[in-house]
Amino acid sequence: MTAPGEQEPQSAQLVRPYVITNGRGLPENDQFNLITLVTASEQRPPSQLDPEKRSLLELCAGGYLSVAEIAGHMGLPIGIVKVLLSDLSSDGYLITRAPAPPAQLVDVSLLQEVLDGLQARFG
Amino acid sequence: MTQYLQDPAFWALIAGTPLAATAIVRGRKARANLRQEKAELEKRAADLDNNYAEAVQEAHNRAEEATKSALKSAMRTLQGLANEQQLAISKTQDKYGEHQLLQDLLEIDHMNSQFGRRAQSIAVLCDGWLGRQRAVASVYDVVRSAKGRIRHYTRVEIRSQSNFALVSRAVEPVALALAELLDNATSYSAPDSPIDITIRTVPKGVCVIIDDAGVGMNEEEKNRADKLLSATHATGVTGLGNPPQFGFAVIGVLAARYGFTVSVDSASPYGGVRAVVLLPEDLLTNMPEPEEQPTNHVPAEAEQSQPGGSAMTGAAVSGSTVSGATAGGLPKRRRKGSISIVPRADSTSAPARTSEESASIMGAFQRGTQSGRSANPNREGHDPQ
Repeated sequence: MTAPGEQEPQSAQLVRPYVITNGRGLPENDQFNLITLVTASEQRPPSQLDPEKRSLLELCAGGYLSVAEIAGHMGLPIGIVKVLLSDLSSDGYLITRAPAPPAQLVDVSLLQEVLDGLQARFG
Repeated sequence: MTQYLQDPAFWALIAGTPLAATAIVRGRKARANLRQEKAELEKRAADLDNNYAEAVQEAHNRAEEATKSALKSAMRTLQGLANEQQLAISKTQDKYGEHQLLQDLLEIDHMNSQFGRRAQSIAVLCDGWLGRQRAVASVYDVVRSAKGRIRHYTRVEIRSQSNFALVSRAVEPVALALAELLDNATSYSAPDSPIDITIRTVPKGVCVIIDDAGVGMNEEEKNRADKLLSATHATGVTGLGNPPQFGFAVIGVLAARYGFTVSVDSASPYGGVRAVVLLPEDLLTNMPEPEEQPTNHVPAEAEQSQPGGSAMTGAAVSGSTVSGATAGGLPKRRRKGSISIVPRADSTSAPARTSEESASIMGAFQRGTQSGRSANPNREGHDPQ
């Protein structure tokens, strides 16, 4: 509690997240996860776009960005960012790319050979 | 003559005359006194009559003041709690942003916003304090903020944007006034009918027009609304009626205090009420320079990575770095730097150091290795000397 007359230390965002998505929570078909990569498509967005969507498009116009990074930069909960992303991608302003597959496990014997080689040379 | 002298009546007359004279004089005096007293009494009665009205008014005012100050401090507590809760909800939303819980958190957030708005409205009627410091915000964001403070906010559609912003002191009052108008609009129209908001630039400032498809207002209601909305008629807490109707009273107080005008006397094209809020020029300002990265960690880094980004998507960047206005009249944001995860070709080169810096780094390195060698003389297998 703040004492009377004292100013609030900080205030929350003016536009609350539920207003940004107009009450929608996480999308049903969750096509985005934290490491899905997205970038802006060639299609020019209309001028009457929500400020959040516009800044999102501007954010990833320069190359591929992951969903987690976008959420971090926008300062919004990830679920909200996903709603915006799914809107934008269904309207064709965004291109998504599946995350890079995890690297194959390297053969242990190869690692052993490298280790042996290094030890033979420097050990 | 002597016969008269012997007549007792004569003596009685002689003795009686001064007495009578005295009595008459006394009587006159008494009457004069009485008259004066009567006049005084009359005057006092008149005074009392006059004072009565004043006294009642004064008692009324005193009661109003007492109610106001009690409510004001109660509302201040509630407002503080609502703000605190909002911050807590924000944090939880960020934490569980990916969880199914988010949906519930959004609903709790919505309820908390409504709760905060109610407390603010009552505080406004008690000459209280709105309780939040806001930065300059675009009219569109203020309208959206207002939209979020009412129950049926999903029915509200904002049809246009504006390239004007509100000065920081007007953000919260205008948002609250708009929220009260929207609350009226949603309460007095069918549950599924839309509420349209249009933002229009006019010579005197910016108009926010709220159209509902409700039942409209009759003449009596319009008069009451006009009276409450005009600055001349200040309603206290006690004059709100039963059940109390806050809306117009709150809007009227806010409009008078911050200098915008609200009218509800026209009909909307959908048959309901059209409310027009005119924001004068002195409450308006230009759009703040858009903040590209709300987190704003290291601006220098973003600047540095720009060439790589622009090499990647030359077309997109050349479009977005041009400041100015779009075809729709909206200000175009200038992108300060793209935050691409794709590294640029020459980004491996270390940042250049001055010779002093390199010298001091090398010196530190040398001192470090020396102290390391001398610190542990008995470390296994190593003899320092």
